[in-house]
Amino acid sequence: MSTRPLRIGHLYPDAMNIYGDIGNVRALTQRARWRDIEVETLAIQDGPADLQGCDILFMGGGQDRDQSRIFRDFGTTKRESLHQAIAQGTAVLAVCGGYQLLGHSYVDADGHELEGLGLLDLRSSAGGDRWIGNVVVEADNSLQLQPSTLVGFENHGGRTHLGPGLTPLGRVVVGGGNNGEDRGEGVLAGRVIGTYLHGSLLPKNPALSDWLLAAGLAHRDNLAEPAALQPLDDAVELAAHRRARELAMAERGRGPVPRRR
Amino acid sequence: MSADLRLAAAVASGKAAAATSRLLRRGGGTTIPGDVALAVDHGALRKLAPALAGGTILVTGTNGKTTTTGLIAGALESTGRRVLTNRSGANLVFGLVAAAVADADLRGRPRSDVAVFEVDELHLDRAVEETRPRLVVVLNLLRDQLDRSGELETTAARIGGALRKLPPDAKVVANVDDPLVAGQCRGLPNLVPIGVDADDFTLPGLPHAADARACPVCNAPLRFSRVVLAHCGTYSCTSCDFVRPALAYALTRIAARGIDALRLDVDDGTQLDAAAGGVYNAYNVLAAYAALRSLGVDAEQAKQGIARFSPRFGRQETLRLHGRTMRLLLAKNPAGFDEVLRTADELGHAGTYLIALNDRVADGRDVSWIWDVDFERLARRSNDSDKQPRIVASGTRAQDLAVRLKYAGVPTDHVTVEPDPQRALETAARIAHDGEEIAVLPTYTAMLDLRAVAQRAGAVDHFWQEPRTP
Repeated sequence: MSTRPLRIGHLYPDAMNIYGDIGNVRALTQRARWRDIEVETLAIQDGPADLQGCDILFMGGGQDRDQSRIFRDFGTTKRESLHQAIAQGTAVLAVCGGYQLLGHSYVDADGHELEGLGLLDLRSSAGGDRWIGNVVVEADNSLQLQPSTLVGFENHGGRTHLGPGLTPLGRVVVGGGNNGEDRGEGVLAGRVIGTYLHGSLLPKNPALSDWLLAAGLAHRDNLAEPAALQPLDDAVELAAHRRARELAMAERGRGPVPRRR
Repeated sequence: MSADLRLAAAVASGKAAAATSRLLRRGGGTTIPGDVALAVDHGALRKLAPALAGGTILVTGTNGKTTTTGLIAGALESTGRRVLTNRSGANLVFGLVAAAVADADLRGRPRSDVAVFEVDELHLDRAVEETRPRLVVVLNLLRDQLDRSGELETTAARIGGALRKLPPDAKVVANVDDPLVAGQCRGLPNLVPIGVDADDFTLPGLPHAADARACPVCNAPLRFSRVVLAHCGTYSCTSCDFVRPALAYALTRIAARGIDALRLDVDDGTQLDAAAGGVYNAYNVLAAYAALRSLGVDAEQAKQGIARFSPRFGRQETLRLHGRTMRLLLAKNPAGFDEVLRTADELGHAGTYLIALNDRVADGRDVSWIWDVDFERLARRSNDSDKQPRIVASGTRAQDLAVRLKYAGVPTDHVTVEPDPQRALETAARIAHDGEEIAVLPTYTAMLDLRAVAQRAGAVDHFWQEPRTP
C-alpha cells in the first residue's frame, strides 16, 4: 500500500522558537528519515490552517509580545481545527507557551487574563519568580519509555495546575515542573503532550521522539494502536541523556529554586 | 582643590584588593577591586570618569564589544593619548570601577586622558549615569543566553532607555543594519548611523538564528532586500514607513583576506585594513572607524590606528600546540556561532574542528540554543564523506554537541567526543593533517579552559598579563 508522507505541522516557526525548540522538529524528521519514512514539514503561520491534515503538531514558546498575538490568532482561526485534529488522533507536542495555550487561560503578572484554547482542563498563571535549571522527570508508566526518565531544561515563570481528570507527563525528580506543589511536570492526554522542558526536549529523549512518531504514523495509517518502530542506534543520544541526568542529579535537593529577578 | 579622602581610600583599597587577588591567582583580579572600591566609596566611578580630560566612550551590544573596544582604544593610543580600558572583558559596572581604580593615582586622580569601556547591555544605563559618556557605540542586539539576559526585547528597551539618559551633546554610533538597534535609536539627537551597502558577503535569506523579523514600530513583518548576517542588513517595514535610516558611514566593499584579515571600503573614500576576519568584524571595524571620526580623529589617523590592531583574548588568536596551529574563534550565542562557523568554513576551509560547549553561568546554563545554530553547514560541504570535516566535540556538554552534529547530518564517525579540554586539544592535533590550521570554536568558559591548557604548555600568556596593543 503506498502511503502519503508523514506530515509534521510546525506552528508559528518564526515567532515561537526562542529556546531552540526547532530541535524537536529536527529530531522527529531525522528519526523518520533514518527509517526511510518519508516526511514533510509544514510551517503553519497566522490565519486559517488545516491542522486535521497533520499527523504530528509541534508548538514552542515565544517572547511575550509574540505570544499574546499568537494566543489571539490561535483562538480566532485555529481553535476548531485543532480541536478536530486532536479528536481524530493527531499527536501534539506543545512546549512552554504552547503548553499553556492548550489550557483555559493564562493570567499574567499584572492580573490580565489571556484566554487559552480550553482544549485541556488546565490553567496557568505567572508565579513570583522564574524557575531556571536542569530537570529530570520520571515519565508516566503508560508511555513505556526506555529509559523511563526525561531530561531537559526549564525556564519559566508560569505555574500550571491540571484539572482532576488529567495526568502529568511525569513526576519531577529534579526541578520545578508544573507548579512546585504536586511534583507533576507537563501533561499527557491521549496523544497530546504539554511540557515546560526545553533542551531541546526530543533529541536527548529519543524514546519520547519515537513515541510521538509512532502516534503520528498511527494517525496517518488509521491504526487504532501505534505500531512498533524499527530500532535505531541511539548511543550518541543516550550518552547525552545520561550526561544531562548526571548533571541535574548533582543539583538535586535544591528543589524548585527561584533564581534571579 | 582639596583631596577627596573617601575616593582616595576607595582607590587605595581597590588597588590592595587587586594585588591580593592577583597574588591568590583569583582570575586576574579584574572585578573584585571594583567591588571593594565601591564598598568604600559608592561614587568612585562617578567621580573618576568626569576627571578624564577626553571623556568616556562606551561600547555595547551583544557581539563584538571586546574587539570594537580594542580597535578604538588602540587607535586612540596610537594618536598619543593615554587610554583607560577594561581589557579583560570585565564589562559589568564593577569591572569599569576596577579599571578606573587601577588607573587612578593614590589621590584619586586618573592618569589616563580618555576611557574606552565595553559595557554589558544590561549595565549600560548605570554606566551612562556614572560616566556621563561623550560617545556610545551600539553594535547589535542578538539573542544571547536567555537565562542570563531575559528576553531580547527587554534588553532592547533597557538600551533605548539608557540612550535617552545621555548628556545632550553625546553622540551615538549605531549599527542601524540591525532593526532592533535602529528602533531603539529613533529620534536620538546626535545619531551616527552606520551599516553595510556592499553585496560581497550576503546570505540568501534570514538565517534560523535571526530574531528581529518584525517591525519595532508596528510589529508587521520586515522585508529584507539584503541580509549580511543574523537579522542585520537592509530592510523596510511591509506596513508602516519604518526603513533602515540613511547612513553616515557605509561600507561599499568588503574583501576578506583569508580567515583573519579584512579590507573595507568606506563611502567617504577611506580604505581600512584590519587584522580581524569574518563578516561580523566588518561591522566592528566600521563602528570603530565611525567612533574615531566622531571623536575628531582624522581619517588617515583612524586608518593607521585600526591597521595596528591585533586580535584579543580568544577572538581569532592563534596558538601553537602539539605541533599544530590552532585558531581560537570565540562564540557565545547562535548568531555569533553562525558567523564563526561561516568564517572557518567559507574563509578558512577548515577540515578539522574542535568545538567546545560548556553550560556554566557565563555560557548560559541552557544549551538549547545550539539547535538554532546552522551546524547543517558542516554537513552540506560535500556529499563525499572524505571531504567532510572531522570534529572533536568537547566541554561540559560535549555529548549534547555530538547529538546536535548527528542530527545536522554530520556522519557520527567524523565526531569524537572528548569532554576534557587537554585531551580534546591532543585529539584535534592528532587527527589534523600536516600544515592544516585547526578551527577551535569554544563558548566563553570553554575558551578559558582551553586557554588554560595552552597556557600551561606555554602557548599563550596569563590573561591578566594580556599584552597591551602597541
